[in-house]
Order: sequence, then structure tokens, then C-alpha cells
Amino acid sequence: MSMGRFLLKRSAQGVLVVWGVVTVVFGLRYITPGNPVTFVAPLDASQELRRQIATELGLNRPFYVQYFDYLWNLLQGDMGYSYIRGVEASGLIFARLPATLELAVAASIVAVVISIPLGVISATRRHEPADYAATSFSLVGISTPNFWLGIMLVLILSVQFGLFPTSRRGIGFLPAVAMLFTEFEFSGLVTWLAHITLPAITLGTYFTALITRLTRSGMLDELGKPYVRSSRAKGLPETLVRYKHALRNTLIPVITVLGLQLGTLIGGAVITEAVFAWPGLGTLLINAINARDWPLIQGSLIVIGTGFVVINIFVDALYAYINPQVVH
Amino acid sequence: MAHDEGTSRRKFLTAAGAAAATASVAGCTGGGGGQGTTTATDTTTAETTAESTETTEESGGGGGEFAVTITQGQMPTTLDPQNHRSTPTDNVVLHAYEGLLGRDRKGKIVQKLATKYERQEPGRVRFTIREGVTFHNGDQLTPEDVAFSINRIVKENVGIASPQSDQLAGVTGAKVVDGQRAVDVMSDGVNPVVFSLFATYCDVMQKSWVQERSKSEIAKQMNGTGPFKLEEYQSDVKVEFSNYQDYWREPAAVTSLTFRAAKESSTRVNQLLEGETDVIVNVPPQDISRVKSTGSTRLSAAPSTRIIYNAMKYNVEPFSSPKFRRAMNHAVDLQSIIKNVLSNFADPTGQPTLEGFFGYNSDVNPFPHDKSKAEKLVEESGHAGASITLHTPVGRYLKDVEIAQAVANQIDQLSNVSCSVKQREFATLAGELTDGKLETAPNFYLIGWGNATFDASQTIIPLLTTDGALTSYSNDKVDSMMEQAQNQGNKSKRDKTLQEVNKILHDQAPWIFLNRQYSVYGVQNRVQWKARRDERIDAYAMAPADGQ
Repeated sequence: MSMGRFLLKRSAQGVLVVWGVVTVVFGLRYITPGNPVTFVAPLDASQELRRQIATELGLNRPFYVQYFDYLWNLLQGDMGYSYIRGVEASGLIFARLPATLELAVAASIVAVVISIPLGVISATRRHEPADYAATSFSLVGISTPNFWLGIMLVLILSVQFGLFPTSRRGIGFLPAVAMLFTEFEFSGLVTWLAHITLPAITLGTYFTALITRLTRSGMLDELGKPYVRSSRAKGLPETLVRYKHALRNTLIPVITVLGLQLGTLIGGAVITEAVFAWPGLGTLLINAINARDWPLIQGSLIVIGTGFVVINIFVDALYAYINPQVVH
Repeated sequence: MAHDEGTSRRKFLTAAGAAAATASVAGCTGGGGGQGTTTATDTTTAETTAESTETTEESGGGGGEFAVTITQGQMPTTLDPQNHRSTPTDNVVLHAYEGLLGRDRKGKIVQKLATKYERQEPGRVRFTIREGVTFHNGDQLTPEDVAFSINRIVKENVGIASPQSDQLAGVTGAKVVDGQRAVDVMSDGVNPVVFSLFATYCDVMQKSWVQERSKSEIAKQMNGTGPFKLEEYQSDVKVEFSNYQDYWREPAAVTSLTFRAAKESSTRVNQLLEGETDVIVNVPPQDISRVKSTGSTRLSAAPSTRIIYNAMKYNVEPFSSPKFRRAMNHAVDLQSIIKNVLSNFADPTGQPTLEGFFGYNSDVNPFPHDKSKAEKLVEESGHAGASITLHTPVGRYLKDVEIAQAVANQIDQLSNVSCSVKQREFATLAGELTDGKLETAPNFYLIGWGNATFDASQTIIPLLTTDGALTSYSNDKVDSMMEQAQNQGNKSKRDKTLQEVNKILHDQAPWIFLNRQYSVYGVQNRVQWKARRDERIDAYAMAPADGQ
């Protein structure tokens, strides 16, 4: 199979998965307790007002009509109107997406930049102090709860020492970059960096620890394999053996985990977003769930689900690129 | 705030220093040396201190500029003042929109867009509309705008099915009075609370402005008559206002007003301590000392209009016995809950109506804590050995779970009743309470009720009459007296009737009467402002503190 056909096949499968996600998410509203009207109408509203609001939201139509209506609108890019806010759900979701993506990518960068070198060092200097330091770091990183770490970082670095803003997103990344190019002004980027540093560290720590361990064990595994021994026997320089051959093979599972974790970060950054008042998709979703705002819940879940699918396809392609055997 | 968008070399240095510090911390944990950390931290601290001094000067003094940022738990769901039912939304939209009447800090009715309000005949009241009021787009306020705004709320065929139609209970419509600058509002029945309702609800919008826009545009733009006009709205991020120079009163002292949100209370407290915001809502009891201990911030608290109570369904055992219900009230040590759980930021209650409200009975006292009396009453009720479960929402009201646990614990300490707590998600619990069927509600639950009209009826009718939307109680005498009260035009007679109802409800104890919730705010000392009773944050009342 050629690379093109491989990608095509994966994409077709991806579309099916997305459709499945839409259906499951749509079905969720029928098994979730709590009527959305309760949240739009005041607690003491009359039954008459409740009926009126239900009609206005289109909730009194049969299930299949609502489902096919939703699918048809979705194909045209319309996710419906938020029950509570009365504005287009898609607008709200896509306005939130950049903040979440920024945070997820920044956390991943923090993780990759720290974890892979750390994992490699720890594997190549096994049982030396550097190895112990790296493994202890990853142990602490994995066992530290996100919200605690976030609050501690804020208390120490922001409130105590005033190094960073305590929370919020000062400016978006793209506007910051635009500012740099149109006005030759660094301050936007600096503000962005100042605001994102603590949340990115908070969100990235667990991830860093995870990848460090994965890299370490993968690397140890590879270094013990016969091809490494024969490369060394042939007289290849040690750096070439370690970083070109062993590391490359180690990275295959690491990339898979990275990809999947990026998806998790997009959907699961809720706690970090709450601690840092970060206006991302996670908080939007939680608020929507608390208010049974179904168009928003469905829209956010579909966007997150689609994100997962796209990342998976991308990871598969990367995987295939690194290890061409996969395609066949 | 200047904190974000400020462009300076310092800002760059701060962040660069911070990045260096971070890198060295990371290096440290990775086995590197620790020397660099100290240096980097020292430099950045010095730089930041210099910067924050600058920020304060910028916002507090210099050329009459006075910028204020308010951080709530949630952002407004919409900017349409008539299409929501949430306090955080109210707090934002009420800076741009105004009603016919308003309230002062203590809850007294004051004139806003109406200069005169009087009863014409049963079921009809007249508001005379103020002259010289302009909308933010420059147009004059007309009686047509007022009539349209009222009709948009109460009538289905005018724009939206407003979730606020029940807030103007009894109002059937409004029309402009020919030849006069006045609007007549019609009600079915006498509607004794009509002015009270208009003092709290019904924001006036411009008819033509609303009609020219889609529902979704109205949710994102603003055109009111209030002291602040909208400058920028980023959904869920911030709402920014500037003071409206042509306001019919003096322009506000606050020149620029920003609303932000942080769901986590500790995040809000941190923002306040760092000087990133000026007013924060709901400071939790555990953070009170943090806010008090710094020199630049203080607390401002006021009793709110929200009562917290435990409803006991009147028609299921053991709660069907008034003796058992009274026993539960005696079993609870309310003073200790207020002191230990709520750090004294609450008042005890003994009737459904709060002190200061119309109809409050000052002769009724909270039930005293008396364990042996409670046990005796349980014996007499014939329900000794009862086992009950208290359902409570999680995180909806200040310390709700902790209050419920304390209540259950104290009841459980009676020798002849056992009690446990069941934590519920608010959404599901509220669904069970509001579906119009008494059977689906739990037998025993904690809930809170806010009543911003300062009138007893808005609590008793929905919660304690037979046909009430969220009722847990039925008593013919209460029903008929409440009906009587709703048709009494005479104020003092009505007051008397409501007071009697409150006495009956105390004696019948359909609830365990718990606490009146306080609104506790954290405020920067540079801002002069005091908390209000109705949970509203009125930036028009803010001024720079002396010497700032």
C-alpha cells in the first residue's frame, strides 16, 4: 500500500468515527438526568412558561427528528444555538479553541523539551546520580496532583514573588505574533509568555514525567538490542549509535503517546483551566454540562472528538514515516 | 488592565527573568546547579515591584482616570438584559441598562427612569417617564420604549419567550398613555407587590434598536440608558465599559470598568492579592484572613437576600408530623454552624422571611438548640427510631455540603433519630424539585432561595403554598392567607397578614430554618465601595478612596 492510500483509508475511517461520536454524544442527552428547561427557566417558573421555553428550544420534537435535523445542520457547519446564551454554539466553541490549543501545545512543548533529553540522559547514565535525579523527578511529577501544583506555583511564584500574573490569558498567541510583525512590538509576546508559563508547567508536569519514564525505558530497551551491539562492534561512533539509531527507534512509541496525550490535554485541561481562569474549551464544557446546555456540550465534544481523530491520523502518518513497515 | 497590555522594557525584563528562573528551577530538578536561581529571582522581584507601583499610580490618580476591574465567579451568559436569570449576568448588564425603579444599598425603592409611580385603580398602575434620558446611541428615551420593554418580558409574541416573565408576576401588559409622558401597566388582580417587582426587574431597552437586531446580536451588543456604555465584549473573557458622559445623573467616577471571571475562589483571591483586580465576589471563609492580613485589601460583607433551609416534605413520614419537624429544628445548633462553618458571615433564621423584608415578623425567634427537647418531641411524634437522609447540592451555595453535614451530624446525635447526607449534583436535584410534581422531590433536602424583591410573598408562595412551583408544604390556612395578602392594597393590613403567616410557618416548621447567607467581597483599599444586600455590584457607587 502506498502512503497516499494509507492516509486515505485512515481518513475514511476517521469520518466514520466522527459520525459515531456525533451519534453517541447526541444519545447522551437522553440518558442524562436534568432537563435543560430547568436552567433556562427560573426555579419557580410556571409549567406554562416551561412548556413555552421547551417549544422555543425545539425540545418537544421527537428524538429522530432532532437527531437528523442536528446531523443535517452539522454538515452545514451549524451546531445550533446555546440554550442559555442564545448565540451560536460554534462561535463560542471556536472562540475558545485557540486558548485550549495554545495551552495544550505549550504544555506538550514543555514536556518534550524537558522529558526526552532527561530520559536519554537517565538511560545512558544508568545508576549514576543523574539517573536517580531524573527518576525521582518523574516519580514526583506523576504523583503530584495538577490542581495542587497549580495553586502552589501561583502562591509561590505569583503571590509571593510576583514573577508571573496569577491567572487569565493576557493575549492570544496569534495576536501577539501579529503585533510583533506589524508593530515590531515584543510586549504582546512577552505578555503571552508570562501568562501561559505557569498553566503550561502545571499541565505539562505529569506529561513530562510520563514521557521521561517512557523514553528512559525505551532507550534502555533499544540499547540492549543486538543491532546496537553490532553497530558498536562495527566501530560506529557512540553518539551515532545512541542518537541516530537507538533514539530513533525509542521515539516511535513516544510519538504515539505524545499524540494521544495531546488529545487528552485538549479535553482534559479542565482543572488547570479552572485554577488559572484560562478561557479554554474545558471550562466552557464543564459550565455547559452543569447547565445542560446541550448544543454547547455536543459541539465541544464533537470538536474534541474530531481533534482526537485528526491527531491520530497525523500520528499514524508520522509513525509510517519513521517506520515505513507500518504502511504495509 | 494596564498589567496586560502595558508595553515596557520592564515587562520584557520581568518575563525574561521569569523564564530564566523557570529554566534554572527546571535545571535544578534535573540535577543542575542551583546558583543561578537566586540571582534570577532577585532581579525579577525588584523589577516587578517597580512595575506594580506604576500600575497603581496609573489607575488610581493621574488626570481623573479611575479604572476598576471586578471579578465574579462566572461571566455573563448574555448581554440581553431580558433573556437570562442569573445574578452574575445581572451584575454586568445593569451597568448599561436601567429599570423604571431601583433600590438603594439597603433595599429601599428609589426612582430611576420613572419620576412618579402611582396606582390608578385595581390592576392598573401608572409610571411617569423621566425626561432628558438618552440611550447610548444618542436617542431619547420614550414611553414607547418602556412599554415595549415590559411587553417583551411578559408577552410571548413580542420577541422572546423571556425567562423573566414570572419575575413580573401578575403583570399582563403595558401601554403608552395618550398625550402624556407616561406608561400604564396592567395586572390581573390588585398586585400589591408591583412596584417592588419593578424596583428589581425589567430593564428598559430601546424598541427600534431591539427590532433591528437578531436575538444573537442583542446578546452581544448593548444600548441602554445606564451610567456605563459597552466598549468591548469578548465572550467569556471580559466585558469592558467606559462611563457614559451624557448620563442623566452625574457621570460615574469610575472611568473604565472591566468585568472578568474566575470560577475558583482561590484564583480570585490570588488575583486580588496581586492587585490584578479590584473587587472579587464570594471570598470563602478559609481565605478571609488572607484578604484581611495584607495592607492593601479589605473585606466588605452584607447579609444577602438568600436563605438556606432544609425542606421536609409535609406528606411523608416522619416529616408529616409537625412535632417531628420542630424536633429537627431544635436538634440543630445553628449558632455553632454559623460560627464554625461560616466564620460568622451568616445570620440565623426562624421564619421563611428575612429581616428587613416586607412581612417579616420580629416577634418570631430562631429555634433554640435543645437536644433533650428534640428527643422528647420525636418520642411524642411517634417516630422514634426514624432514619432520614438529607439531600444536598454540592458547591451551589456557600459551604452547602459542610452545612448539610453539620446538620445531619447534629440530628444523628439524637438518641432516637439517625440521619445521613446524600450529595447531589445541583442540576439533577433542581430538576426533581421543579418538575411540578411533589412526589419526585426528595423527602428532605437542602436548598437556597434568593428573593430580591424584599417581599415575603416571593418566598412563601413558590415554596410553601399548595400550588407553589417548588413547594414542599401545604396548609389551607397559609394558602388562604397568602391569597388574601396578594389582594390587599392596604399596606399595613397586608404586612399584618404576612407576619401572621410567618408566625404559623415558624410554628409548623415545614423547614429546618438555617442561615441567611452573606455576600462577602474582597476589595482593594484604593476603591471606596460597600457591599449591597441584593448581591448587586454597583460600580456607579464606587469612588477613589481618599488620598489615593
